[in-house]
Amino acid sequence: MLRPTPMKHVRLLVIDEDLPRASLTLAELASFHADERSPEEEGFAGQPSVAYRDIWRQASSRLEKITRLIPLPPDRQPPRPRVIPEEELTATNNWLGSLWETCSLYEEEFRAIDDEERLIREQQSALSNFEGLGIDLGMLRSKTRFLDFYVGLVPYANVRQLEGAVGLADHLLFQYMVTGDDAHVVIVGPSGDKASQLESVLRSAGFRALPIPPELDHEPQVMRAELARRRDETASRREALRQRLRDWSADLIERLASSREVLWLAEPLVRLDTAIRGAGPLARLAGWVPATAVAPLEARLRQTLSLPFDLSSRDPRPDERPLVPTIATRSRLLAPFALLVQQYGIPRYGEIDPTPLFAASFLLMFGTMFGDVGQGAVIAGLAWYFRHTLGRFYLFGVLAGLSSIAFGFVFGSVFGFEHWLPALWMPPLHDPLLMLSLALGWGVFFIAMACLLATYNRLVVGNWAGALFGHHGLVNLIFYLALAWGGYNVSQGQGFGTGPLALVILSLGALAWHGWGHLEAPRSEKILVVFIETLETIVGYISNTLSFLRVAAFSLNHAALALAIFTLAEMMGPVGHGLTLILGNVFMIVLEGGIVLIQVLRLEFYEGFARYFAGDGHAFSPLRLGPAPERGTAP
Amino acid sequence: MKFAAHQAYLHTRVSAMATRLFQPGTLALLAERRVEELAAEYDLTAALESQLPVKARSRAVEQALINTLLAELRVLIRPMDAPERTLILDWGRHYALANLKTLIRGKLHDLDRKVIASNLYELPHDLRLPMQDSLFQAENVLELLRQLEGGPYSFIARQARVVFERQQEPFALEAAIDQRYLTGLVRDISPFPEQECPCLRRLIGALLDRIDILWLLRFRFAYQLSSSVTFFQLVPSVRRLHRERLLALVNLDSFAAVLAALPPPFEALLAGSHDHMEVQRRLNAYVRGEALDVIHKGQTGVARAMAYLILREQDLMALFSLIQGRLLELPAQVIKVAIETSGARCHPSQRQAA
Repeated sequence: MLRPTPMKHVRLLVIDEDLPRASLTLAELASFHADERSPEEEGFAGQPSVAYRDIWRQASSRLEKITRLIPLPPDRQPPRPRVIPEEELTATNNWLGSLWETCSLYEEEFRAIDDEERLIREQQSALSNFEGLGIDLGMLRSKTRFLDFYVGLVPYANVRQLEGAVGLADHLLFQYMVTGDDAHVVIVGPSGDKASQLESVLRSAGFRALPIPPELDHEPQVMRAELARRRDETASRREALRQRLRDWSADLIERLASSREVLWLAEPLVRLDTAIRGAGPLARLAGWVPATAVAPLEARLRQTLSLPFDLSSRDPRPDERPLVPTIATRSRLLAPFALLVQQYGIPRYGEIDPTPLFAASFLLMFGTMFGDVGQGAVIAGLAWYFRHTLGRFYLFGVLAGLSSIAFGFVFGSVFGFEHWLPALWMPPLHDPLLMLSLALGWGVFFIAMACLLATYNRLVVGNWAGALFGHHGLVNLIFYLALAWGGYNVSQGQGFGTGPLALVILSLGALAWHGWGHLEAPRSEKILVVFIETLETIVGYISNTLSFLRVAAFSLNHAALALAIFTLAEMMGPVGHGLTLILGNVFMIVLEGGIVLIQVLRLEFYEGFARYFAGDGHAFSPLRLGPAPERGTAP
Repeated sequence: MKFAAHQAYLHTRVSAMATRLFQPGTLALLAERRVEELAAEYDLTAALESQLPVKARSRAVEQALINTLLAELRVLIRPMDAPERTLILDWGRHYALANLKTLIRGKLHDLDRKVIASNLYELPHDLRLPMQDSLFQAENVLELLRQLEGGPYSFIARQARVVFERQQEPFALEAAIDQRYLTGLVRDISPFPEQECPCLRRLIGALLDRIDILWLLRFRFAYQLSSSVTFFQLVPSVRRLHRERLLALVNLDSFAAVLAALPPPFEALLAGSHDHMEVQRRLNAYVRGEALDVIHKGQTGVARAMAYLILREQDLMALFSLIQGRLLELPAQVIKVAIETSGARCHPSQRQAA
C-alpha cells in the first residue's frame, strides 16, 4: 500500500496508417500516460497528425458553442471504439460549422432582445429623472431649425473624452445620470455642417440614442405603463424564440450526439499528438504504463492493429524518476485523505505514498485531541447526513467522528460528562503530566519515522549523500534520537549521559563537516554558516518535538472546556442549564473541533510532509475514451 | 522594512540589467558585423540556422528577442507588490494586444488559420490573452470580442465591440483597442503614493506625449480625420500634452502649425521636421533620453524597472530591424532608417505606422 505501483516506459512503433487505431486501443485500456519528450532515436521529428488536431479543435470549439444553446443529454457510456478517419472528422466539423452559423443567428437574436430590454430599463430610469427636470422635453425629441439634440447612453469611461470632442464641434455635453457602466447624456449644439463630424465621434464613442416618447410631456404614468408593457413583450419574445430554437433543434439532437461521439473517438489521437513523432511511414509514441498492464496492452494491440507494430518496454531509468507518473491511492476509505495529501503535492514516483500513514496518524491525533463519544457521534452523523453534499469527503468526517468516539470511550467522555461511562483508560485531566509525556513520546516517534521515510525516499532514487547527510537524513536521525535519549535521561534525573552526548557530538560533527565541504565561500563565512546551521538543527528538532505537546494540550483543553461549560450551566436555572449544555457542546464541536482539525493538519504537513515528502510528482493521467468529466481519475 | 528591502533588491536588479543596454554608437558597431556574429552574441543561432524561409526566420528572431525581453520583465516583477506588478505586466501586455489585433485582422480578412497562427507571438501565461485558444477558434470578430469581454480584458473588449458594431472599420477598432490600453496604463499609476508618482508620471507622460503627437499628426493630416474624431482617439497625457493642450492642437490645420504650437521641449525638438518619419525618429530619441534619466536619477524601483524595459525593448527591436534588414538584403541606408524609427515593435504607434 505504501509502495508505488510499478511503472514501465513503453515505446510503440506503428505504421502511420494504424496510428488512429493504436490511439483508440490505448484510450480504451486507459493505462497509457503519454511521454511528451523528444525521442532519443534519431530521425523521428515530424508530428504526423497536426492537421487532424486542428480540425478536431475547431470542431470541439463549435460543438461547445452549439451545446450552450442546444443542451445535449449527458452520456456517461464510453462510445464503441472505431477509427474516425480525417474525412469523417472534416465532415463533422463542416456540419458543425454550418450549424453554428444558424445557431449564432439565434444567439444574436437573444442578445438583441437582451439589449432591447436593457434599453427599456434605461428608459424607465430616465423617465423618473426627466420628470423632475421641469422642462419641456418635447423640445429635445427632434432637431430644430437651429439646434441639434442628442439624448442617449454612452460608456461612462468615454464621457470626459467625448465632452472635449463634441466641444470641438461646437456642441455641449451634459451628463445627467449614471447607471452601471453607462452614462446618460444630452448633447446640444447648433445645426449645421458639423453634424456629420459629430455623428462620426458619437459612433466612435459608442453612443446609443434614447428616444424621448411624446407621452412624456403630459402623461408619465401612461409612459410608465407602456415601458412595462414593452418589457413584458420582450420577455414573451424571448420565450417564443426559445421555443422556436427548441422546435428547430429537436431533429438535430441525435446528429449532435453522434458528432459528440465522433469527437470523443477522435480525441485520443489529438491528445497523443504531442507525444507522437513520425519518420516516413513510421510513427513513434512513448509513454508510461503500469507494469501489470503492459502484457494486456500488447495483447490488445495484436487484436486491433492490422499492420505490424513494435511495442518495447523497460523499467524507468534513475534519471527519469521525476518524470514517471504516480498512480493515486485507490482505496475508497483513503480517498478523502488522498485529496488532502494532494493539496500538498503528488508523491514522486518511488517515494512512499504518505496517504495511509497520514490517515492513521491523523485519526490517532484527532481522536486524542477531541475524544468524546457524543460529540464524535455528532460529527460522524452530520458527515453521513450530508454525504451527498460533501461527496467523497464525507468519509473523512465519518472517520474523524469515529476516532473521536473511540477515544471518547478511552477517556470516558460523553458530551463532556465523564461519569456517564466508565473510562477504558482515564480522563485526561486525571494525570496531565502523563498526557504531556506521552505526547512528547509520540512526537519523537513521529519525527523519527519522518526521518526514516526521508532517508528511504532518497535511497530509492540513489541519492546516498542526501540519505546520509541531507535534511532529516540518517545522521540527523542519529542526532535526534541521541538528543531524545539524553533528554529522557535528564528527565529521570540521571544527567545527559556519555553515550547520548558522544552520539550528539559525532553526528553534529559529521553534519558540520559535510556542510563545510559543500560551501563555496571565504573561511569566515563558512564558519558562520556552519555554526548557524548546526544551531538551527539543534533548535529545530527541540522545538519541533515540543510542537507535539499540543496533542496533549488540546486533549486537556477539551476536558477543561467541558468543565467550564458545566460550571456555567450550574449557575443557571433548569432551562438555562439545558441550553448552556447544548450551546456549549455546539461551541465545542464547531470551534474546538475546527481548531483541532487545523492543528492536526499543521502537525502532519509541517512536521511530517515537510521532512520526507517532496510532493513534486505527476499524477497518472491515462488516455481515456469517452466523456470529459471522467478523465484524470485513477483507473 | 519590507518596502525598503524590495526596493533595494529592485534597484540592484535594474542597475545590474542596465549594463546590457546599448551605449551610443553600439548599434553602429553592430551594423558592421555579420549576421552570424550577431546571432552568436545574442543567442539567436537556433532561430537563424533553421531551414525555414526568410520570413519565418525573421519571425523566429523577433520571437526570440521578445522572449528575452519578457523573461527579463518576469525577473523584474518578482519582488514587486501588486500595483507595481500590475503596471509592469499591463505594459508588457501590448504583445498580447498585438496578438488580439492579429486575430481580429485574420477574422476580418478571413485568413487561413495557419497564417493567423504563424503571426501570433508566443507569450508567457501571465502576459498572453485569456483563452487565446478559444479566441483563435472564434468564427468572427464579434464572437471573438464577446468572448474577450467575459474576462480581464473587458475594459478593452467592450469598447472595441461597441465601436465595431457601429463602424465595422478595422482602423476604428484598432484605435479603440490602443486607446483603452493606454488609458489603462494611466489608470495603473493612480494607486502609487505621491513620492513614487513623479518618476512614473514622467515616464508614462513621455510615452503618451510621443504617441499623442504621432497620432495627432497622422490622424489629422495623413488620414484627414476631423478635429473632433482625432481628439476622441487621443489619450490625454499626464505630463505635457494634457487635455486642454490637445484640444487646442487638434484644431490647428497644418502639420507645421501643430509642430510650432507644441509645448517645450517638443517645439524645439521637432522644429524643422517635415515628415512623420522624422518626427518619430526624434520622439524616439526623446523617450530614450527620458527613460535613461529615470534609470540614472530615479528614486523608485518600479519606475526604473519600467524605464529599463522601455529602453531594452528599443534596443532589441533595433537589433531585430538590423537582422531583418540583413536577411531581406535591404540597402544599408534603409536599415539605418528602420533602426532609428524602431520603437516598441508592437506598440500602438508602430502598428499603425506599419
